[in-house]
Amino acid sequence: MSDLSASYTVVDFNASMQSLGALQEAAYRLIGQAACQIDEANGRYVCRLSPSQPQLHGDDLRSHFLNLVTDENLREKVNRETDRLRDVIVALAFGALAAEE
Amino acid sequence: MAGFASPNAFSPETSALQLLPIRFERLGADRFLVGNIVGDMAEMTAVELDRLCSLDLTPGDGLYERAFEKLFVGSIDQRAQQQLLALRLRSRLSFLRAATPLHLFVVTLRCEHSCPYCQVSRQSQDRVRYDMDQATASKALDIALSAPAPLIKIEFQGGEPLLNFELIRWIVGAAKQRAVPLGKQLQFVIATNLALLNDDVLDFCGEHDVLFSTSLDGPRDLHNKNRPRRGQNSYELAVAGIASIKERLGPDRVGALMTTTEASLDRVEDIVDEYVAQRLDGIFLRPLSPYGFAIKTKQFHKYGAQEWLQFWKRGLRYILEINKSGHHFPEFYSALMLRRMLSDEPIGYVDLRSPAGIGLGALVYNYDGTVFASDEARMLAEMGDRSFELGNVREHSYRDLVLSDTLVSAVADSLTQTAPQCSSCVFEPNCGADPVYHHATQNDVLGIKPLSEFCARQMGVITHLFELLEHSPEDAAVLRGWAS
Repeated sequence: MSDLSASYTVVDFNASMQSLGALQEAAYRLIGQAACQIDEANGRYVCRLSPSQPQLHGDDLRSHFLNLVTDENLREKVNRETDRLRDVIVALAFGALAAEE
Repeated sequence: MAGFASPNAFSPETSALQLLPIRFERLGADRFLVGNIVGDMAEMTAVELDRLCSLDLTPGDGLYERAFEKLFVGSIDQRAQQQLLALRLRSRLSFLRAATPLHLFVVTLRCEHSCPYCQVSRQSQDRVRYDMDQATASKALDIALSAPAPLIKIEFQGGEPLLNFELIRWIVGAAKQRAVPLGKQLQFVIATNLALLNDDVLDFCGEHDVLFSTSLDGPRDLHNKNRPRRGQNSYELAVAGIASIKERLGPDRVGALMTTTEASLDRVEDIVDEYVAQRLDGIFLRPLSPYGFAIKTKQFHKYGAQEWLQFWKRGLRYILEINKSGHHFPEFYSALMLRRMLSDEPIGYVDLRSPAGIGLGALVYNYDGTVFASDEARMLAEMGDRSFELGNVREHSYRDLVLSDTLVSAVADSLTQTAPQCSSCVFEPNCGADPVYHHATQNDVLGIKPLSEFCARQMGVITHLFELLEHSPEDAAVLRGWAS
């Protein structure tokens, strides 16, 4: 059992503060470097990272994953604030402007 | 006494700013590439990115000006930035308005070469059943001329198309006749190894304004190793053909493509020198594609995206120095990417589009009348995978083909604008969907992008070009010249 636990890195987050979507996006970007299994237990999201490449493991893998999560959290914030504007721009490009031609 | 208002009186309120849709990618611990939805990019530190996202910007601080210039922020009470982004987005996607300008006629699958990396799975020379017949060509021509694009480019492919030159002659004549009442303009290109070039072919192509595209993999030993034929004289015939076309038809009537094999990887300077020596107008440092004999003979798996990127970067450095000496000699893949990065002009290259260029950018009429969504799609079909077969010239119209479930599904399912990772990727506005490649390599038209070599190459190329544009003024001056 201890051998098995040593083969992966665990990173957990407070589920009330961390969005699951950002974790899933970060896990997707990790494909090829590590597999990420996300479970929820006792109000925490538990991410088990199994390295796919021998050169990325342990603290390096943990640090890399945390960077990915940080980036995804920022992307979520940006999307929340700009999604409406993106819709306006696309509507202008293919709605109003198209109608004027 | 009259006085001037303080400088603060002229400053816009920072609270009047709003963040526009942006994307970013982490390049290092404290380095980010930030972009807008039409592909303009800027490099930022983590602190700068945080300040941008929280609109902590002050006129005169530098970041405020960069953010405005790159359309990362706008004024809440002005729509100019949104309208500008909309206009630019519309322009970048305007290739959709002139659908299917390129039509490839596979006039024969026969070839007298036996290249181990052949991506079309050529057949031996004596199998007449692999030639397209006139009735099939006529039907294909009707489909090509019913495409919406005002300029129809017909490219003759093989095998070696000059083995069925009589059909090429017939198609060019018929196309010219049929195009007149339809008001279509025409361009013709023969993709040939030039081994069978003769005076008849040259006379005809001169008279009818037909261009040539050929293969030149580098110096004699490398080219002949990559492209064996009886007599081991592929190189000699190719360079003699290039010289004949230049002399008889003009210097701009022939272009060449190279294919990178494992043997090419440490010889990029030799390859470039060969192109310069043959007075070609540039070079396309092109990786192998995962189709045909390139897979069967395991050529495709002999190097990866990172090795190709090293080859391309070394070649680009060498080419940039040639340009700095006063010889305009672009690397064509960089030139395509630079046009995406530095202008909003739609480009014809089908792999750098989303919606994907299959069908909407090009149709391929195989020798037997089957129609495929791209040249790579027919390469896959020759390997037994007919996933992108759209129909047959005898049964289907242009409309049937482009509205077929096969094409609509492949295009819809591969949109990068909504794909995982791509939808938030800073490179996406300058990249494209390549459903046939991802189907061939991952059995998934969308592709799992963290595992995609196409994605790795695109990110590597765009990042490198961006860094040269930002940090190397002399290189940037050359690169900007290629984009125009």
